[in-house]
Parts: sequence; structure tokens; C-alpha cells
Amino acid sequence: MSATTQLPATPTPPSASSPAGGDAPRPPQRLRRGALRSERPGVRIAAWATVVVCGGFGLLPVYWLLATSLTPRDQVFSYPPKFFPSAPTLDAFAALASNEQLFGYLRNSVIVSVLTAVLSVLVSAYMGYSFSKFRYRGRRSLMYLVLASQMFPQALLLVTLYSVFSAYNLLNTYTALVLSFTTFTLPLCVWMLKGFFDTIPDELIEAARVDGASRLRIIHSIVLPLAAPGLIAAGLFAFVRGWNDFVFALTLAGPEKQTLPPGLVNTFIGEASTAWPELMAASLVVSLPVAIAFIALQKYLVGGLTAGAVKG
Amino acid sequence: MLLLLPGVALLAGVVLYPLIAALVTAFFEQSLVLPGRTFVGLQNIVEVLQGDFLRLLRQTLVFTLGTTILPFVVGFALALALNTKIRGAKVLRGLMLIPWLVPGVVVSFLWMWIFNANYGVMNALLQTLGLVDDPQAWLAQPGTAMGAVILAKTWQSFPWMMVMLLAGLQTVPVELHEAAEMDGAGTVRRFFAITMPHLKGIVGLVLLLEFIWNFQHFDIIYVLTGGGPAGATQTFATAVYETAFQGYDLGKAGALGLLWMVLLMALVVVYVRFSEKGEER
Repeated sequence: MSATTQLPATPTPPSASSPAGGDAPRPPQRLRRGALRSERPGVRIAAWATVVVCGGFGLLPVYWLLATSLTPRDQVFSYPPKFFPSAPTLDAFAALASNEQLFGYLRNSVIVSVLTAVLSVLVSAYMGYSFSKFRYRGRRSLMYLVLASQMFPQALLLVTLYSVFSAYNLLNTYTALVLSFTTFTLPLCVWMLKGFFDTIPDELIEAARVDGASRLRIIHSIVLPLAAPGLIAAGLFAFVRGWNDFVFALTLAGPEKQTLPPGLVNTFIGEASTAWPELMAASLVVSLPVAIAFIALQKYLVGGLTAGAVKG
Repeated sequence: MLLLLPGVALLAGVVLYPLIAALVTAFFEQSLVLPGRTFVGLQNIVEVLQGDFLRLLRQTLVFTLGTTILPFVVGFALALALNTKIRGAKVLRGLMLIPWLVPGVVVSFLWMWIFNANYGVMNALLQTLGLVDDPQAWLAQPGTAMGAVILAKTWQSFPWMMVMLLAGLQTVPVELHEAAEMDGAGTVRRFFAITMPHLKGIVGLVLLLEFIWNFQHFDIIYVLTGGGPAGATQTFATAVYETAFQGYDLGKAGALGLLWMVLLMALVVVYVRFSEKGEER
């Protein structure tokens, strides 16, 4: 059988729990998994009670976020609060749109997160490929060092990073933020991409080598294009983690280079009377790109979950 | 291996060197803003051990255990409920992910507003239910601040637990349940005899990962309370940060960090062992 016939249109995403044997039409004798066909009434009642209690805990704060962002500013400072704003308004969003400093933070967030994603994917692609397709001494130790390194506390890394960036006059630059963000995006991208490369058949690489392609040629013209969905997924995860970072941007950058999370804290928190509708409106706006990225990433979620793509 | 070079260089530069250098400062008297340092041996570590260490350890453990167990309970309950055939389960599965999609600072803003002493909806809710007589300043009272912070973090974490456990529940064969039911095993009996054994691995993994992450969680605590009031919500993460960047005392921050890392590394070693088992199938 020639290797090229096995070429998959898109590599399947890495998934910790994918059962061996693909998911072509299921043979009828296969075990059904998941939910029972019918439940007893007691189970139904318990399920509904759980959904009401836990679901309320999950969704009422979301409602409150939305409701507050639509509440007129003077109505917010009344007690008890009105559960339904009586005269909903988009004033808070309009106020955000005219706040130039927030646009500065937004621009910084976009630039830093995109650069972080690009750098992480570039570097991790080679490392992940090496981990996936080559066997050498120290490979396993290095792999697990990479895995463990995302669990080193950021507050501690900052102690040195701050001094080093300060010594090289890099404080308050995009470079400092991008480099510090790679401390958590690199391990995640390396492990995710290794998973993707694992799904590319060795025979394909072997066939290219027989045809005389060099190692780098194989990577650039065969492996990376095949792994494109994986590269995009890893890049999006890196973007989201960079977008969400708070402590590095808070510490290593000043107001001109700060991203939205610390920027919003500086803008809204600690004043005598916080502009809650505006803060809630801003919170919605900051969350939006993350929500969009996650919808795009749905099918990679469970694979990325264990790689530390998204913390719980 | 040339392929490894960029990655290894980056990792060494931004993770390994900073980590080791930070741990080394534990043995020096060193300021964030002044040049130079003096070797002081174990003095910083002794001072930390005689000072705040036990209180920080206790508070970090309270936070970590609370934010591991509560999301697990909520997430597991929801996973079990949404794994049944109730109407709207699919939509609810999606909606329940929202708390987990919003950035950490947004979680902090939202709960800061909910817990607001003067206009907060939490006070209104509890007063309506008759659970408190007067509005409370939840985040400003030493007795309630930690609980409030744990609740906010629980809200952020439970969807992840739910997703992981739902994925685990999907692998439990229905035939086993049906056979057991025919043999007269009740719901509770089947849960412990069939469901739980199938979930053992995933339950261990989510608890361990959540514990490791929360053991070093910073954002929500820092924004909600800044470690206060009177240090009541201070954990290793916020204490190291405050010592270094508000107290400028790198030596003491390094000493705290060293002790913190020793505890953390023990957990990480367990996690790596765990992952190795999964990897070598």
C-alpha cells in the first residue's frame, strides 16, 4: 500500500479519550455509551433540582452582568437593586466607545496576543515535531520538563523577569509582554502540536525521505500544511491565554503598553464610586473575543483541556 | 537537534533561568529597586518560617481545597444531571460554559459588584431570603472574605469540571447500567458500582490539576481583595507578589517562593507520573 493513499484531508484532533478504531459507521453490536434511555421519576426530579440550583449559580451572575451593563448610571446606586432595569440603556457602551484610553489598551491587547500566538506556534511547531517524530536521549525528560514548566508560579518568575527586563531596558515594551506570555503558551502549544503530529502517519514522512526531500523540506512542505488545523487551534489557544493574562501585563508594563485586563483594573477599580454599568459593559466586550475563539475551537476543547490549554 | 533549539532557548530564558534565579535570591538580602546584594545564608528562610509561613500555608490550603472541592461538587452534579435525557440538556451544557469563557479579571469585577457592601445583589438576595439581617461587606470582613473569594473562583472553575466529567460519563457503557437495573440494582447502587469505577481516572486527574492551579492562583484574589482585609485572603501567590513588588524585598519573596515551590513540585511530580501513565499506552 502506498503511503500517499493514507493521506488524511485533515488530521484528526488529538483527543485523550478517542477510542481506538476511528468513528466510521458504528457496528450495531458496539456498546452504547452515555445516557440511559429512560430514567425513573426520582432521577428526573433530582436532575431537575440540580439543574435549577447549580444552573442558577452559573447563570444568574451572567444575567446580572448583562442587566447591570444596561442599567442607567444613576439607577445602579440604589438599594435594594432592581432585578430588572426599568429603563434599559446602551449609555454604558456609548461611554466606552468614547474612552480613548480603553482603545489604547485594546490595541495593546490585540498586538501582544497576536504576537504571542505567532511566536508560540512558530517555536512550538519545531519542538512538537521533534518530540513527536524523533527518538533520542533526554527526549522524555525534556517533554515532561516542558509540561511541568507551565506549573511554575508566575509570581515567582516575575521576581526575576522584572529585574532582567529592567536591566535590558525592556520594561514597558511589547517584547517584554510577549516573552513573558510565552512562559505559559509555549508548554501548551508544544503539547498540543505534538498530539497533532502524532496523527500524521510516519509512512508519509518516510516516503518523502525516500524521494530525497530534506528534513526541513519535509517539515515545511508536508507536515506543517497537514497540521494546519492544529497550528490554528494552538495559535487560538495561545491568543486566548495571552488575552486573559493579568499579572504579567500589570507588572511589566505601564499604562501606555498595558493590555485590557490590568488596564480595566486601573481605569475602574479603586475609585470612590465605580462606574459599574461601564465596567460590566467593558467586561462583556473583553469576553467577546474569547467566546468567539472558543466557539471556533469547540472540537479541540477536550484534547486541549488536559494539555493545560484552558485552566479550570 | 536543531529543531529543539528555539524552544529550548526560549524556555531556558523565560522560565528556567528566572525560576532558578528567583529561588537563589532566597539566600540574599536584595532589593527590587537598589543594585547589589549581600549573601545572608538561611536568614530569610528562617524569618519567613518564624513569621507568616504557617498562616499563609493554612490560608492557601483553605483557598485551594475550597476551590477544588466546591467546583467538583457543582460540576459533577451538573454533569450527572445533564447526562440524563432531560429536555434542554444540550443547550444548558453550552450555557454553563459561559462562566469559564470570561477572563479572570471579568470574574473578579462581576463578583466584586455582586458582593458590593452598599448596592450588591448578594445582600439583597440573602435579605429577601431572611438569611442575613443587615447588608454585609463580604469582601471587607476577615470572617467572610475568604468564603467570598472561594465562591467567585468556584463560579469560574465548575464548567471545566463539568466538561471533563461529562466527557468521562460518555464512556460509561449503558448496557452495564441496563443489565444492573434488570438485576434490581437501584440508581445509587449503580452509581457507586458502575459509574464511579469508570470515572476514577478522570476524577483523579481533574482534582489534581485543579488543586495545582489553585495552589498558585493569583488574579481573582488579587483583584477582589488584594490579599486583605488584614491579610485574611493572602495566599503564597499574593504574598510573594506583594513582598517583591510592594515591599521590594526580593530576598524574602525568594524565601517564600522557595518553600512554596517545594510543596508545588511534590504535586507536579505526581501530575507528571499521572501523565506518563496516560502517554505510554
